[in-house]
Amino acid sequence: MELAYYPGCSLKQSSSLYDRQMRLVMERLGVTLKELDDWNCCGATSAGKTDDFLSIAMPARNLGIAAGSGQSELVIPCSACYSRTLVAKHYLEADREIKETINLGLSKKIVSDVKVLSILEVLLGLIESGELARQLVFKPKGLRPACYYGCMLTRFPFPVPVPDDVENPRGMERILEAMDLHPLEWNCKTSCCGASSAVTDPEVSYGLMAKIIRDALARGANCLVTTCPMCQMNLDAYQDEVCAKHGISERLPTYFITEIVGVAMGMGIKPLEIDRHFVDGTKLLEELERYESEQ
Amino acid sequence: MTVSAIEVAPDSVSSLLSEVMERSGQNLLACYQCRRCAGACSVGDETGFFTPDRLIRTILIGDRTAALNNELVWKCVSCYTCGIRCPNGIQTGRITETLKKMAKEAHIDSPYPKMVHFHDSFVQSGLRWGRVNETEFMASYELKNSLSLLKQMDFRSVADEISRQIKLALSMLKLRRMHFGFLSAKGRNEIKRLHKQFKNKH
Ligand code: SF4
Ligand code: SF4
Repeated sequence: MELAYYPGCSLKQSSSLYDRQMRLVMERLGVTLKELDDWNCCGATSAGKTDDFLSIAMPARNLGIAAGSGQSELVIPCSACYSRTLVAKHYLEADREIKETINLGLSKKIVSDVKVLSILEVLLGLIESGELARQLVFKPKGLRPACYYGCMLTRFPFPVPVPDDVENPRGMERILEAMDLHPLEWNCKTSCCGASSAVTDPEVSYGLMAKIIRDALARGANCLVTTCPMCQMNLDAYQDEVCAKHGISERLPTYFITEIVGVAMGMGIKPLEIDRHFVDGTKLLEELERYESEQ
Repeated sequence: MTVSAIEVAPDSVSSLLSEVMERSGQNLLACYQCRRCAGACSVGDETGFFTPDRLIRTILIGDRTAALNNELVWKCVSCYTCGIRCPNGIQTGRITETLKKMAKEAHIDSPYPKMVHFHDSFVQSGLRWGRVNETEFMASYELKNSLSLLKQMDFRSVADEISRQIKLALSMLKLRRMHFGFLSAKGRNEIKRLHKQFKNKH
């Protein structure tokens, strides 16, 4: 299977581990990722807050490139890029005039409709086809993950059709359950981590993150799992400070979904670059591996 | 936090309300003040008097000054929770995004300039190179911040902010999460041209 692939800026920089994991995991599962040629920044939430036109035009150019790529589906693992691209698509479909104006300026025009997929949709498809089950070699059964979706996978400023429940999404849980793991039910899976306010207004975002970490711990979680590089960065890089400020003594490794899937397919911690977390994520996985091999 | 009194200004009702409705795409008139949004708001603990329903009310009664400059407008994190809970589908997140732009056009300085600097630096970086270069963007953000703090002679905050960022940068370096290569998209001029064209027309 081939999919067009939009990594976005984070996956090329501070979250390059996610890009690497994405490629390794998809290759193992028989999916060839075709990175969009000369893609540009989607504008993220910043364009939405400062310039409505750019928030459409920036993802629109990528949609044009995707339309010319010959692929019918485009996977966007970053939740923010996924969300902004879907929102731009919504606008372009609703407003012919803006679509025509933008198309006139693009060298690769939006001539066909490319379906935008989240990483969860891709993985769920691979579960349905049985491909994932064929590749599983290791069940880290002691993992007690709390699946954290954040805002951007399910909540949009417009009625955008999303393939999961808005209040209680279960895509990530379904993937982990298919791997025989037992994700927890908890209260904060779609809470907001504060996004860029971790940088601009730490008090607000640390309070939001403390709520998330506290609830996960209270349910007995030993890690968080996410798909969003922004959420991962916030909950990982600032966790020590958040916990110190809010009197929380435990820590929770915050994994990308690709790390759990990768480990379960027997890919090592090193090749998956799981050693690049702020809150160590290697010890827990190594312990589970040892425990399983002793059984 | 001081509670701002909301003033009734019937003369400005229609112009403020219609501008916000048109630019945000939200039907504020559908709001029946049930306050479901207020219970859902992620930053509800931080915004004092201004909950989403009250912001809407402020706009409905035409108090432009309060509508363009209040804690919710500046602190809203665009999580869109209020909007999915609203029985009338009103997205207050879109309203605050609109008010932020209107405040900027009216030359109202945010009491939280860091957020404005952050989003401006991000979009500028994405537009300039076609892709956001994190180190360049963060440097531009910190520079804007420091300049405005220095203007206020707030040296303490400059020092605090810089030491916080250096601490983060050092751990990012250790984890190889700091990137030094340079990212760009060749076709960035297509977007720049479109943007210019659009701005000239509007
Ligand atoms: S939830 Fe909707 S209808 Fe109710 S107060 Fe808020 S905006 Fe108004
Ligand atoms: S979008 Fe803004 S106003 Fe609405 S719940 Fe989130 S933070 Fe509150």
